[in-house]
Amino acid sequence: MMSRFFQSDGVYYFLRTPSAIVAAIIVVIIVGGAIFAPWIAQSNPYDLASFSLMDGLLPPVWQGGDPRFLLGTDNQGRDMVSSILYGARLSLFIGFMSMAIATVLGVGLGLAAGYYGGRFDAIVMRIADVQLALPAILTALLIDGISRGLLPPSVQQDLRVVVLIIAIALSLWVNFARTARASVFVERNKDYVQAAMIMGQRPSRVMLRHILPNIMGPLLVIMTVDLASAILLEATLSFLGIGLPADSPSLGTLIRIGMQFQLSGEWWILWVPTIVLAALVVSINILGDFLRDIFNPRLR
Amino acid sequence: MAYFILKRLFQSIFVMLAVAFLAFSLFRFVGDPVSQMTGVETSVQDQEQLREELGLNDPFVVQFYRFTTDILKGDFGYSYRTRQPVNEMIASRIPATIELGITALMISLIVGIPAGVYTALRTRGFATQTILLTTLVGVSIPTFVIGIVLIFLFGVTLGWMPTFGRGGTVDLGGWTTSFLTLEGWSYLILPAITLGVYQLTLTMRLVRAEMMEVMRSDYIRFATARGIPQRKLHYRHALGNTMIPVITIIGLQFGGVIAFSIVTESVFQWPGMGLLFLESVRFVDIPVMGVYLVVIAFFFVLVNLVVDILYLMIDPRLRVKEAI
Amino acid sequence: MKTSRITKATLLVGTILVGASAANAETFRWASTTDPQTMDPHAVNSAPVLSFLNNVYEGLVRRDRGMSIEGSLAESWEPLEGENGWRFNLREGVTFADGAAFTAEDVLFSYQRASNEAADVRSWFSPVTDVRVVDDYTVDFITSAPNPLFPDSIANFMILDKDWAETNDAALPATDAENFATMNANGTGPFMLSSRDPGVQTVLVPNPNWWGEVEHNVTEGIFTPIGNSATGLAALLSGEIDFIQPIPLQDAAQVEERDGYSVLEGEETRVIMFGFPHEHDTLLYSTDVTDANPFQDVRVRQAAAHAIDIDAIDRVLFRGKIEPASQLVPAGISGYSEENSDRLGYDPDRAKELLAEAGYPDGFSFGLKCPNDRYINDEALCRAAASMFAAVGMDAELSTGPVRDYWPQLREDDFDMYLLGWSPGTFDMEHPIRFLKHTQDDEKRLGSWNFGNFSNARVDELLPLIQQEVDLEARQAMIDEVVAISQEEMAYIPLYTQPLIWAAKDNVDMVQRADNFFLLRWVTVE
Repeated sequence: MMSRFFQSDGVYYFLRTPSAIVAAIIVVIIVGGAIFAPWIAQSNPYDLASFSLMDGLLPPVWQGGDPRFLLGTDNQGRDMVSSILYGARLSLFIGFMSMAIATVLGVGLGLAAGYYGGRFDAIVMRIADVQLALPAILTALLIDGISRGLLPPSVQQDLRVVVLIIAIALSLWVNFARTARASVFVERNKDYVQAAMIMGQRPSRVMLRHILPNIMGPLLVIMTVDLASAILLEATLSFLGIGLPADSPSLGTLIRIGMQFQLSGEWWILWVPTIVLAALVVSINILGDFLRDIFNPRLR
Repeated sequence: MAYFILKRLFQSIFVMLAVAFLAFSLFRFVGDPVSQMTGVETSVQDQEQLREELGLNDPFVVQFYRFTTDILKGDFGYSYRTRQPVNEMIASRIPATIELGITALMISLIVGIPAGVYTALRTRGFATQTILLTTLVGVSIPTFVIGIVLIFLFGVTLGWMPTFGRGGTVDLGGWTTSFLTLEGWSYLILPAITLGVYQLTLTMRLVRAEMMEVMRSDYIRFATARGIPQRKLHYRHALGNTMIPVITIIGLQFGGVIAFSIVTESVFQWPGMGLLFLESVRFVDIPVMGVYLVVIAFFFVLVNLVVDILYLMIDPRLRVKEAI
Repeated sequence: MKTSRITKATLLVGTILVGASAANAETFRWASTTDPQTMDPHAVNSAPVLSFLNNVYEGLVRRDRGMSIEGSLAESWEPLEGENGWRFNLREGVTFADGAAFTAEDVLFSYQRASNEAADVRSWFSPVTDVRVVDDYTVDFITSAPNPLFPDSIANFMILDKDWAETNDAALPATDAENFATMNANGTGPFMLSSRDPGVQTVLVPNPNWWGEVEHNVTEGIFTPIGNSATGLAALLSGEIDFIQPIPLQDAAQVEERDGYSVLEGEETRVIMFGFPHEHDTLLYSTDVTDANPFQDVRVRQAAAHAIDIDAIDRVLFRGKIEPASQLVPAGISGYSEENSDRLGYDPDRAKELLAEAGYPDGFSFGLKCPNDRYINDEALCRAAASMFAAVGMDAELSTGPVRDYWPQLREDDFDMYLLGWSPGTFDMEHPIRFLKHTQDDEKRLGSWNFGNFSNARVDELLPLIQQEVDLEARQAMIDEVVAISQEEMAYIPLYTQPLIWAAKDNVDMVQRADNFFLLRWVTVE
């Protein structure tokens, strides 16, 4: 089993791509840190009693800070390292969840619309038009607003993350749908698809087995760029004041808070989360590129 | 063709109505306009009276009906915040946003397409890796951070560019443009770069992905075997084939560019629709928000239509009924 | 420094640079976060509007550099004899910007306009029953009861020219649609409106016929709103603007250190406080106490006050720029209670004891509501406070939101504890008592910002007496009593006075008034 894995093509190409190795290491470190944050972080930024304002604004240790706080503290006295671990945890969760929902929703609807055509296609595409006409920021405002209107106040705070995931997912699915649909139009007239259809294969099988693999290339480009977008969109929404509350430190929220300190000398409050976010997003993208090459047999 | 366009126009009206409906339903949750319109000393009864006068106590359906019929009659109403006619407010801000969006898109195409071609042809080169990494880093840092960094670098430290606003415009019969003066460009360039970075990266990566795919396709291999010159091969045959998805995505992105200019406009104090919208959200200026969203929807619908027509012209294979 | 920058720019990008070369010493450019939403002084009672329009319009009285009342369009005023009210003797020879003469008719007209239903400033005139023109330069304001502070309360009541307003169909403030006065102005003030592009740029030029003594040397004043504080700071540091109000307080030190810039620091009159749900039967957001409202017990309220380490907040969040507050107005404001100037200190142990005495030895959880775009560092303050409450066992579930959504929540009683800042509009202690301490009474328009409905019969009884008392000592005694009651009852936790931080180029001389108003007539550019 293990030996088969190491002999596979993917691993072979991986070991020959240094950028992918570096990216993978960065992603593993950040994702690992995010997953195990509750066990490795020295304090929990959600636990208000675990930090003290008296420790606020301490610089990183190499600038003469307190040895307890490797990368310094923010203006609340929260340890930057712990904040970033928890922040990455939240950002990755939001990013993956919304990207996954958007992919499934978008590809599913796009394939079906392209395959069946007709009225179903028209309806899906009109919904997509409406969605596109309401750009991400406005969708988020809308979902945020509706949740405020419908949910009792006591659960609103707890559900902000869910609301955000839905909002981001809804604003991302259209690209998947359009791409999938456009590809279906091209692919379905090709002989191999026609052949599969004539042989009486079920539509779902034709779509998933024959059409989907052929559009993995463009889809992976969109998926990787969109995972980045999802994480960044969360940061942007935070900047516009419709993201997460400040006591839920996603990387975006940390950056928004850090923006206040970009001039005042406490550079680490802004740049530490920004660098982590950039490293994470860049690495995900590099891995995405790599995966695209692997999955696309024609590129070999 | 005419039937197609007519049909799309009809669909567009549906889209606009749906957006108006969604937009309008959102306003009920944004906040209370009255508490933003009045001073702290205004009594509760006076606030209630104002609410009544503005029709905010009417049922949702009544408010929505009034909003749509007014807009259809060409009456866009008056801003709660400034009491100005909304159509004038939006109209005066449209040029700034459109010019910013177009410039951003142009930057992304002018830089993104050649960069995409280059990086596709020289997949392993050092320059390619540098370009790929730099643009990736560019889209991995939130727009508002990039904007502020650019402002401080080019505006404050180097002193080359202005830091805010849209100075040096020329008025062309109601349309103020930055394109005609050097000063206008100096104000435009930083926000346009900030706004365009994401599209640039997307364009480049799309062109690159498509090019690499096309370059490996059979007909390009045959063409190479037949001895067609490399340059002609790359730009005529290969690039031409990559244009469909690129135009689709970039075209569809224009709506997004206009919407995301909210952030850029806010960072650069760029007096466009996005900034107006943000101010309006802050003040719960429902008429302005509503019209803004409808205008954005209109832009989108327009762009979408153009993209579809281009699609038809570029790829005759798509002139089948289903594609329409 | 500046020359080299310009040289560099000229070399590299030709003539691109514009704003930075604003060597034209007398054009003064300034920025603030909010654009005045209208040029109509009666339409909206908001600080950005009133502050800006004080350059263009004038009232009967005005505030000087130190906030004291002085004559403006009225040269003198005195209480009426035989009835309640005030007589204002108007300045003669004053003209509006369009050349029309200023007379008592304009005062009467402006009163009618500003007290009309369509005017948002009409609450200023709720004590007024009648206004009588005695002659061209004498006007009587009749009030329903003795009102010693009436002249102080109308410093922002600005006078329009009757003919101008009526000719241009602006006899009433615009309510739904705009009218002429929304975009145009015709005042008696030191400056005139030269052009206006709402949200983008508004230009003022000096009024050559102004009656007063000119102290400024500004030939043109250009105002630009810049919403993003970092962008505003960049605009200042690149030289494109000469002055900005306010700047983020954490940036003050950096600006001060730069050559050619200076920071103006002061205390605003706004006191930041936490409010309690006095009237609620239960907590809304608690996970452990669902059948009672612990905050109804004064010991719990005191515990909350003891939990706050105001010095740490000052040092870390506000860089030592705040003044801890003991009551709802800062020292120096009339009515400030000297004898109640102590605040409950930071004492977490005492807080825990008090909680235990009140029956909550293990504390309890509750919801804390805060705005995140209203006051300086409001969100950071609340996070710090939540952490401090947690340290004594009061587990605060913090929720923050933009102010557009915040006031409606407070009005609907949707809070367990909330943050509020209050600036006394009349610069007198009576103002917060009327709005924040008197029992809610919509009929009499009292206690309208007393969201938790703190209610004390003695306070309610004292308020009208304070409003009517002419003898300052007796008045102060009553105010002292109210302050003592609210401290004893812990009606609110007063936290601190909000700092006021402006930044300008070194060559600019100006006055920072405690109401955060910026007046162009005190600006000199060297």
